[in-house]
Order: sequence, then C-alpha cells, then structure tokens
Amino acid sequence: MTVAGKFPPPHSGPACRVEWAHRVVAEPWLGAGPEAVAVDSAARRAYVACSRDNAVVAVDLDRWVPVWRAGVGREPIPVVLDLPRRRLFTADARSDTVTVLDADNADRVAQITVGQDAYPAGLGHDPARRRVFCGNTAAGTITAIDADRLEVIGVIPAEIGAGSIAVDEERGRGYCANFMAGSLTVFDTETLRPLRRIAVGEGPCKTVANPTTGHLYVAGSLHSTVLRLSLATGRPLDDMRVERAPVGMCVSPDGGRLYVCNRGAGTVSALDASSGAETHRITVGHGPGDCHIDAATGRLLVSNAGSGTLTVVDRPWLPGPVRPQTHPAVGRRIPHFALPDARTGQERTTREWAEKKYVINFFASW
Amino acid sequence: MWETRRAREEALRFAAVWNVEGPLLLDETGDYAARLGITGVPTNVLVDDNGIVRAVGAVTPAELERAVADLLGD
Repeated sequence: MTVAGKFPPPHSGPACRVEWAHRVVAEPWLGAGPEAVAVDSAARRAYVACSRDNAVVAVDLDRWVPVWRAGVGREPIPVVLDLPRRRLFTADARSDTVTVLDADNADRVAQITVGQDAYPAGLGHDPARRRVFCGNTAAGTITAIDADRLEVIGVIPAEIGAGSIAVDEERGRGYCANFMAGSLTVFDTETLRPLRRIAVGEGPCKTVANPTTGHLYVAGSLHSTVLRLSLATGRPLDDMRVERAPVGMCVSPDGGRLYVCNRGAGTVSALDASSGAETHRITVGHGPGDCHIDAATGRLLVSNAGSGTLTVVDRPWLPGPVRPQTHPAVGRRIPHFALPDARTGQERTTREWAEKKYVINFFASW
Repeated sequence: MWETRRAREEALRFAAVWNVEGPLLLDETGDYAARLGITGVPTNVLVDDNGIVRAVGAVTPAELERAVADLLGD
C-alpha cells in the first residue's frame, strides 16, 4: 500500500538517535562511606547514609547536589524513609542507636537506644503497621520500634549477625538476615513473635521482598550469589549468579527487575525477576553498598561506599558497555608499593617481596 | 590494606576478629588500590614469583582455592 501526502523527511542526524543502552548521568561526591540510599520521588530528594561521616545527606534529584547534611549517631549504615510522617531512620552501628530525622528540614526528631554493644546495622520498614525493625548484629536481636511514637515496642530474638530486614506486608512477615549464622529469622510483624529459622548458606548480607513475583531475595555476599525464596512457603527456590560480594539490592517498582550491588566488583547486576537470569552489569563507583530506584524517572541510584559517591544510572534496565572478562592488571607487573606495616609501622616494599608467590587481599569496610 | 578514617586501629581490629596473619599494609589514601584498578572489596590479587599479576578477584572459597592451586602448580 502506498500512502500519499506530505511527510517530513526521514531523520538522519543525532536528534533521532535512540540510545539503547543504560548511561551514568551523574555521580556526585557526597562524603565518606555512603552505604545506603532512600528516595522520595515526589519531593525529588534522595537521602544517603554516610557511615564514616556519621551523617545523612539529602540530595536534589534533579540537580544532583546536596541540599542538607545532618549529623546522626556513629556509623549509620542503612537509611529508611517513612513517607507518611516524612521521617528518616538510620541505624547507627557504633552508637547503638536509631536516629530519626525530619526529611524536610533535617531536624533530629529522636534518637532511640536499641541496646548495648548491639551494633545495629540493618533496618526494615512496615509502613502499614507503622513499624520500623532494627537488626542488631552483635546482639543477635531485632528491635521493633513504633514509627509514630518512636518508642521500642519489643525485642525479637534472632541470631548472631542480624542485620538487613525485609518485610512482606501482605502476609505480615519479617525476614532478618543473620550474617554470621547463615540464616534468616522469620517473625510476625504484628505480634513480634519469631516464627521459624531458614538456613540460607554463608554470609547473607541483604534481603528484600518482591511482592509482585512473590519472591524473597537474599544476597550471599561470600559466594557471589542471590538466593531466591518463595514468600508464600519460605522455601528456597534457586541461586542466581551475580558478581563479587553482593551486599545491596533493590526491586524495580513494577517488580520486573532486581538490581544487586556487587561491592567487590564495583558493579550492579541487573536480573530479570521472572527468570532469575542476570541480563547485564552496570559499572558504578567503588564499593557499591546499596541502591534504590527513583520511581518518577526509573533511574537507579547507587551509593558507593568506596568512592564516596552516588551513581545515577539512566535506563538501568538496558545493557551497556561490557567490561573485559579479564582484569586489566592480569599479565602485567605489579605496581611498585612502599606501604607501612599496620603492626610495626615499618615500611614494606615490592622489592622486599620479590621472588615470592603471594596473595594480596584488599579488605576494608568500604 | 585499608581505607578509613582510623585506618591502623580499624585494620588491627579487623585482623584480630578474623584471625588475619601475615604482613598487614595500610593504603590509607586508596592510591595503590587505584593504581591496580581495584574497584571494590574484598578483592584478591595473586602475584607470581616474577612479580606478574596472575589473577584479580577470586573471592569465593572455590575461586580462591582454584587460583592459588593454579599459581602454585606452575
């Protein structure tokens, strides 16, 4: 069929070029040790917990600049936004507190003690039941906090390494990842009773729920995998392969994708939530700790604990540049170093280590 | 290797908790990690007796065991 009439000529210039790739559109520096990010899409704000600055930084989501910085307790790791009250909660690992801030003006609303030498390192949120749950790593417990009255309303026994907490609002279940115990503690978010223990393998670091697919995800930081479980039965389903040291995760608002922060690789794995397959990886900053989707734009925000930045990724569901399989340092001579020994203060150099076979292990909390 | 605000204190504490033996060197600025192209932690770098980098990454027990076996098997 031929269609007659006046039509504009076909475009051939850059204006019509469609980008079928994700793209990093901003990476503002925010401070030391940004571990987690929460987003208020309507207010165009992101909130980032900077663990080594003992602060939360609010970022303008359109201009990508910090708009305020508020001191909290020592070493805040997670941050949760309670939208009904527009309050932020951080778990301050080294001061055994949960700090509550007003999300609009950064005022400190409360600081709630959750134990002694408890090392609170994870938070869960049940907005409908008005509860915030805090995983206490050293104490092996979960502190339940009334999100309105800002009072402790109960303590749930968990296991050593208790941290990240996912909430299945529909079923009224909470899942706490116990890093050292290699387990999940399942509890009733209404009665605060522990219900069962699920063994999940070594090093569960982060857990999130996907109500759309009915799945719970558990990042196995020591084995570069994410375990998928059924929210209906609690039964483990399969392991999904990602990259080194997965520690943070988020689910897209439509439930179709899971994004996994690989702290050891400086990447985010994008997975199809239905098939569980990793579709592509996104290169972000150093030591990515956690991530969140800005529902208004679909952009992925990644807090990079190592580089102190927030990576903003446009269209993260699309593939993009692929990193070479082999690290560029492989096959090359190790760069010269002259670094102090932490125990003795003595300077050690590459020359001294010549003619040995050795493993250098980079470890740090970023 | 470490990067934090109290590098020595934190590194020694970490080594004590996890029973890390052997030389423990501080890279407080992260410059050396950057020169090696390290983008996250933990990361293992395996170096042979000629000072040539043979593997980077290898953080799961199975990967590390295989990489060390390959290095020592030469």
